[in-house]
Amino acid sequence: MAKKTYDLLFKLLLIGDSGVGKTCVLFRFSDDAFNTTFISTIEIDFKIKTVELQGKKIKLQIWDTAGQERFHTITTSYYRGAMGIMLVYDITNGKSFENISKWLRNIDQHANEDVERMLLRNKCDMDHKRVVPKGKGEQIAREHRIRFFETSAKANINIEKAFLTLPEDILRKTPVKEPNSENVDISSGGGVTGWKSKCC
Amino acid sequence: MDQSVAIQETLVEGEYCVIAVQGVLCKGDSRQSRLLGLVRYRLENDVQEHALFLYTHRRMAITGDDVALDQIVPLSKDFMLEEVSPDGELYILGSDVTVQLTTAELRLVFQLPFGSHTRTFLQEVARACPGFDPETRDPEFLWLCRHRCAESEAESPKPREWNSDPGTRSGFAPIGGGRYQSWNARRGLEDVLPRGPGYILLWGGATKEPEFLLAEEVHEGGPVRGPRARGGRRDEALEEADWEMSAGGGSRERDCAGGYNVDSSRPNGRGLLPLDQSSGARCPDKPENSLTRQNRSKAEITDMVRSSTITVSDKAHILSMQKFGLRDTMVRSHLLQKEGEYTYIQNFRFFVGTYNVNGQSPKECLRPWLSSDTKAPDVYCVGFQELDLSKEAFFFHDTPKEEEWFKAVSESLHPDAKYAKVKLIRLVGIMLLLYVKQEHAAYISEVEAETVGTGIMGRMGNKGGVAIRFQLHNTSICVVNSHLAAHTEEYERRNQDYRDICSRMQFSQVDPSLPPLTISKHDVILWLGDLNYRIEELDVEKVKKLVEEKAFHTLYAHDQLKIQVAAKTVFEGFTEGEITFQPTYKYDTGSDNWDTSEKCRAPAWCDRVLWRGKNISQLSYQSHMSLKTSDHKPVSSVFEIGVRVVNEELYRKTLEEIVRSLDKMENANIPSVTLSKREFCFENVKYMQLQTATFTIHNGQVPCEFEFINKPDEETYCKQWLTAKPSRGFLLPDSHVEIELELFVNKATATKLNSGKDTIEDILVLHLHRGKDYFLSVTGNYLPSCFGSPIHTLCYMREPILDLPLKIVNELTLMTVQTADDRSQLEKPMEIPKELWMMVDYLYRNAVQQEDLFQQPGLRPEFEHIRDCLDTGMIDHLCANNHSVAEALLLFLESLPEPVICYSAYHSCLECSGSHTASKQVISTLPTFHKNVFSYLMAFLQELLKNSAKNHLDENILASIFGSLLLRSPAGHRKLDMAEKKKAQEFIHHFLCNPL
Repeated sequence: MAKKTYDLLFKLLLIGDSGVGKTCVLFRFSDDAFNTTFISTIEIDFKIKTVELQGKKIKLQIWDTAGQERFHTITTSYYRGAMGIMLVYDITNGKSFENISKWLRNIDQHANEDVERMLLRNKCDMDHKRVVPKGKGEQIAREHRIRFFETSAKANINIEKAFLTLPEDILRKTPVKEPNSENVDISSGGGVTGWKSKCC
Repeated sequence: MDQSVAIQETLVEGEYCVIAVQGVLCKGDSRQSRLLGLVRYRLENDVQEHALFLYTHRRMAITGDDVALDQIVPLSKDFMLEEVSPDGELYILGSDVTVQLTTAELRLVFQLPFGSHTRTFLQEVARACPGFDPETRDPEFLWLCRHRCAESEAESPKPREWNSDPGTRSGFAPIGGGRYQSWNARRGLEDVLPRGPGYILLWGGATKEPEFLLAEEVHEGGPVRGPRARGGRRDEALEEADWEMSAGGGSRERDCAGGYNVDSSRPNGRGLLPLDQSSGARCPDKPENSLTRQNRSKAEITDMVRSSTITVSDKAHILSMQKFGLRDTMVRSHLLQKEGEYTYIQNFRFFVGTYNVNGQSPKECLRPWLSSDTKAPDVYCVGFQELDLSKEAFFFHDTPKEEEWFKAVSESLHPDAKYAKVKLIRLVGIMLLLYVKQEHAAYISEVEAETVGTGIMGRMGNKGGVAIRFQLHNTSICVVNSHLAAHTEEYERRNQDYRDICSRMQFSQVDPSLPPLTISKHDVILWLGDLNYRIEELDVEKVKKLVEEKAFHTLYAHDQLKIQVAAKTVFEGFTEGEITFQPTYKYDTGSDNWDTSEKCRAPAWCDRVLWRGKNISQLSYQSHMSLKTSDHKPVSSVFEIGVRVVNEELYRKTLEEIVRSLDKMENANIPSVTLSKREFCFENVKYMQLQTATFTIHNGQVPCEFEFINKPDEETYCKQWLTAKPSRGFLLPDSHVEIELELFVNKATATKLNSGKDTIEDILVLHLHRGKDYFLSVTGNYLPSCFGSPIHTLCYMREPILDLPLKIVNELTLMTVQTADDRSQLEKPMEIPKELWMMVDYLYRNAVQQEDLFQQPGLRPEFEHIRDCLDTGMIDHLCANNHSVAEALLLFLESLPEPVICYSAYHSCLECSGSHTASKQVISTLPTFHKNVFSYLMAFLQELLKNSAKNHLDENILASIFGSLLLRSPAGHRKLDMAEKKKAQEFIHHFLCNPL
């Protein structure tokens, strides 16, 4: 009964259009830092971070993907095996929001069936440039029953919370509740609400 | 991900899920998720057996309720688990590990997730394989019987790979898969057990049978998880302690089943005596059960498991061995290093007592010995010697005295506190009891107990020692009770007994990979017992007189233990307090009078307490004259011992820091490189004209292995017209390598590029082993060429190919030869490709008399010039060596996607190669443009033959050159055998010799 330094290993994936801030979101979480210069990610990168949730030490392996369209067919092959996917869009970029449904389809096609999804509405520090109204973002999250967070890697808003909530949701997926009480709204506190995806 | 916790819940005592992995069971096209758990079972004699338990499960299993046992595969000698490369499947980025499990009876294929956890799992399985040493006993897997039923219950009947005869199963009671069932089973067992000693909470005062009720209470309330959880760090260890203290039935059951707490209490004769010594109480389950189990099924099961004694290769053992526990080890060592940062010293009061009871039963209250102190001790370490001097105790290791004395002690503990028994260990007459105050119970962990016999033959249990080791908060403590060799002159023997106990007393560690702990490896050692050292060189009367005078200092000089310790021959590093009490041996039983028997032993300080370690101060060291049961007097000592206690908050902080720094290190150790260039544009790529681009891979600080890997659904890492050199390699830290990308369009790729079905566009994935993947994009444009274009396409191109819009070129290239004949709507086609005419005409004008035409190589730069002239229509500029033009003509014919004699006509041509008429007949069936080209070429070749005197050509030479160009096997060039080649030449030969 060796003492393990972690009990679980979760593979998470960041996807979304190019320039929405996936790399910055990850950089903020892994190194607690922010870099303003934009370097388009043209690779598949990953970082490790160990967190503790519900008394379990969980090693997160977070994969950052290239957002550019020309790489889409390749990046989808990394979906397999991911337990959680963070879908990121930029509230100041309408196109990145419009593409969300495309990304969601991609997840349906390529990811594990029971993958836990989460929507990040990034760059919320730039509210003055917002083009995607909050309501629209909430609507799509509600339609697809995905939890969402308004985040800012730059201002360090909700990043940690999002990265802790996703693995928590993955943990929670184990059906400990009665079958008919699964469909419960869970408010995540901190002024942000989200929807717990249905447990099947 | 490790889901062994869930599996563990389905197991019974003695079985331990070493590691689990979630994988996909592949049967034909079906893919089903399975949890694979490696389960270990420890038998007597330290023998372990392993089996793979396969579970179906609901999503990610967290508790035992989420999994259902599907199948058990014992790790027998013919078991093999090896990594295989998936059949016919392409390697996919970070792809799963495919493993094949084979035994004599079955073969299963699993896909396990990519990553280090799978590696660990495979490594553990490899380690657990029984090996192929013929000396070792074949595993029998008797313990698996109890799962058979659960296994068969779990799923609808289907052929069992493990094909046990159903008849043999009925003998075994089902042991449930779920936690609830096994819990019940445990409790049920406890109900039928006679009330045994231990596992009980006790009040200091004598209460009528409080034990059982309390034990029940603890059960109902569940284990006290709350307060003792410490970031999970010691949960597992505590779990064990918890077992010892609160789950009596469980611990007994585990012992009976020969569980993983193996032999903690077994005497030297390993497995010799079937009874559980630690509890003393006869375990009703054990003899009967184990016997029936063996009698009934041993033969059958052994047969079943060993149905084929085949020798297998050692493959399972060479599965890639990576270093795993590294991170664990680092966290542990960091925590140890920084222990001072998150712990503080807190004093605990220890009572240490030793009493040689001379085989007597308790006759008087032990309180004067155990509770004389005003303050209630936190920990009680109570040792007895000569508990039972009967033969039965010696030979069968069974004694009612154990229970009697345990009860007597339990009832005489300090009345001001509640105590929990941690452990009882006995070797014949040497018994050690460990109690702690109830509130400390949660902080006791890693309890292990062992015995060492040094008596008859140097091994038997009439002399020797027993020891209990445990962890109190963060301090490791070992308590030893020993009874060393008797007789005044035998002090050397006593010294040897001490050394034997020290070297042979070994405690198994929580982590089985670590070497066993010895006594000396503890922060605190408390050694008590009848050490039997005597007072020498003084006659009995003199000793008695000195005692009477309380001249203890004079006596010390003659005390063997003092002398031996001073000589550093025994108890090195140990301290003993000053003795202020008279010798505790030997009295007439029932009195305070010195021994009046025949032997008339001289008084001696046989019964002693010593210690080793930091932060220990002795508060008292005394004998208790009022107890008269034995010929010895009991001795007690109270200590104040500074124990390292963890400050939860600081511990958390320290752990967090360590984890962060390890995360940081791990991230820094992910291989990473920089690429000098990631976008490559190849402009105006021409047919058979090499273009290259280079870039440099600069490695970071981690050695790395790089490789261009295939993208999903592709068979090569890049398009056919591209190559990377080198395509894989190894880089040392800070080194670099230059990669050359070569783009070369040949006949195999030109047509698709002409048609637009392919473009100069590709993404290369540069994969670093255990690291990132980099994407490199290749873009560019291809200039269409007559080379690689079909004959009919060229006939429809009245303009030079490069003057036509790309779209038209694409369209015309895609046009099939069948439709080409009736494309009336298009501009009237030419009869033969103008490019062919240009080359033939050039040769006709300049080279009919050229010596060795078609037999000498052309010049490459001239070929490029010729190609450009043909593709741009600048025929007037064509100025080249005859041989170059001749070669260009051959290349042109070779590059035709459909040969002049269509693939479909190939076989009929070979068949009628003997007859000119028949050959002509076949030619007449060719599509118009092909027919035209064929006739045109033959006419030209006949013209050349007219000048054979000058150019030295003859029919045979030309037939052999053009035979294989005009007639190409649809099966591909390489397969052309000599016979076919000959027939092709023969076929062409007709047209060279006969008038057209």
